[in-house]
Amino acid sequence: MRPGPSAAGHAVGSAVLAFLFLPVLAVVPASFNNSSFIRLPPQALSLRWYHAFLADPEWLRALGTSVSVAVLATALSVVLGLMTALGLDRAPPRLRASIVALVLSPLIVPVIMTSVALYYVSRFVGLHGTVLGLAMGHTLLCLPFVVINVGVALKGVDPNCQRAAEGLGASPWRVLRTVTLPLILPGLVGGAAFAFVTSFDEVVISIFLSGSQAKTLPVKMWETVRVEITPVAAVASTLLLALTVLVFLAVQIARKSNRMGRSYD
Amino acid sequence: MPLEFHAIAKRYGNITALWPLTLSISAGEFLTLLGPSGSGKTTLLNIAAGYLDPDAGAVLIDGRDVTLLPARKRNMGMVFQSYALFPHLSVFENVAYGLRVRRRPAGEIRRRVEEALALVRLDGLADRAIRDLSGGQGQRVALARALVIDPAVLLMDEPLGALDRQLRKHMQLEIRRLHREFGRTTLYVTHDQEEALVMSDRIGITNEGRLEQLGTPRQLYERPGNAFVASFLGESNLLFGRVSERNGGWACLSLPDLGINLRGLVDVPLAVGDEAAALLRPEILRLRPDGGDGIAARIAETLYLGELIAFRLELPNKQELWSRRMATESWPSEGTEVRVGWQPEDIRVLPISANQTRE
Repeated sequence: MRPGPSAAGHAVGSAVLAFLFLPVLAVVPASFNNSSFIRLPPQALSLRWYHAFLADPEWLRALGTSVSVAVLATALSVVLGLMTALGLDRAPPRLRASIVALVLSPLIVPVIMTSVALYYVSRFVGLHGTVLGLAMGHTLLCLPFVVINVGVALKGVDPNCQRAAEGLGASPWRVLRTVTLPLILPGLVGGAAFAFVTSFDEVVISIFLSGSQAKTLPVKMWETVRVEITPVAAVASTLLLALTVLVFLAVQIARKSNRMGRSYD
Repeated sequence: MPLEFHAIAKRYGNITALWPLTLSISAGEFLTLLGPSGSGKTTLLNIAAGYLDPDAGAVLIDGRDVTLLPARKRNMGMVFQSYALFPHLSVFENVAYGLRVRRRPAGEIRRRVEEALALVRLDGLADRAIRDLSGGQGQRVALARALVIDPAVLLMDEPLGALDRQLRKHMQLEIRRLHREFGRTTLYVTHDQEEALVMSDRIGITNEGRLEQLGTPRQLYERPGNAFVASFLGESNLLFGRVSERNGGWACLSLPDLGINLRGLVDVPLAVGDEAAALLRPEILRLRPDGGDGIAARIAETLYLGELIAFRLELPNKQELWSRRMATESWPSEGTEVRVGWQPEDIRVLPISANQTRE
């Protein structure tokens, strides 16, 4: 047995965690503030700014846009990412390496460069300021998560399972539907969750691709905070945080119940 | 149904997995490909199943050329070493898979799956999850899944490799029983000689992408075609030398190390001067502690194997021979000087490799 961490180790670890999470958690009490300014700690708790958020059509529209964009970007990433991962699984190693590099490149290239490029292209093809344009831009960043998650899941599938199904007479499509997909489902769901959250809080590409018609929640928050310091921004942040936590909790629960029902080991 | 391979060849880059290989398996026959790993036996099996395309040659099922047919249209029953059961489906659904693909009515599926499970003695386990099965049960499910579709040929790729010895022996007898009962054409791949001997009608010994020899277990054991076959099937002592005399069905092998000429039966074209090996199976050697004919040896080691006793004999030139006999009578102890004798008709003079007689 290795010795557990020392008291000093615990202290350092806790300090790092606090450093990482406290600023994030600060928005939660701030959102329940009843004064007109963001104050910490809040002097009195109220839902005043939540009412303000819900009463403002612009905030609601931004929330709706964000959800639409995230759902669409997730759907695009799942379909494209699944096909990419399945193709990579069968590709010769050299081709695989270059395709993986290509798929991962949006995470490596500075997002601001990608954003400027997308700005020009989206204006040119008329997708600027549309939900579809935003979703397609986000898909660049979401795709790697799906490809990687599904790729890892595919590595865990015995290739003989697919061969066995084929030998029993199943068409390639049927093998995919009845054997491969059920076996990689946990990876696919995990990838989809990452994709959704990535799109939902993406801000750089969104700033460049948002227009007056389609503006995501983070862009609206950024614009608001620039002109006035209002606790409504803290409300939006809290909602964002809650949604992120919910998505990952849901995935964890789904995976756990899946593992209890069946075993892929 | 009969399965035929005509001049099947396969290369991976610079490595030749199969030299042009021709082999016919008759309807109802149980044929085993036996060879070390990398000898091409699994490659041939995968070509039969349609998982691998040969570079040249043809595969015929029931006289029909299926070389270009994808695996799903060949109606082969494949059993994998890893079982390759569908982990997300129950035992019942695993076995039913091929019938569902064939769109059989629900009633027929239920009946046939239950029959198949009863056949492999798994009745009552239909609703089990795959992860709750033991290794032996998993293998039976894999077998039922392959049999239930009424395949033209049953293909098995080292299906017992992952089981412990006791279970392996039991499953050998089970597979043999099923084959006896239904007489389904079976191509079985293994590197375990005991498996091959117990179950097969005929055995093909593979080595380095070639079929070294094909025959009944008894033919291969008693009349191996070369030293490789002799050493791969059964226990064997091989003494290497040159042919000094050739006379009809007999040859003399000169063994200068031991200072003797060994006479034995030969039925391959070996000429005087050729390098050759003499095969002395452990059970033909007679040990005479009281002297007499034969070569001098010392018992370096005795191994008690239950019903058998094995002796490691050291010859004057430090070469080793193994001898075996039933352990029902008393035996000489370690260190005893003995004379080793044999009957010349029990000895086979063999070419060292198949290449020698092929060329």
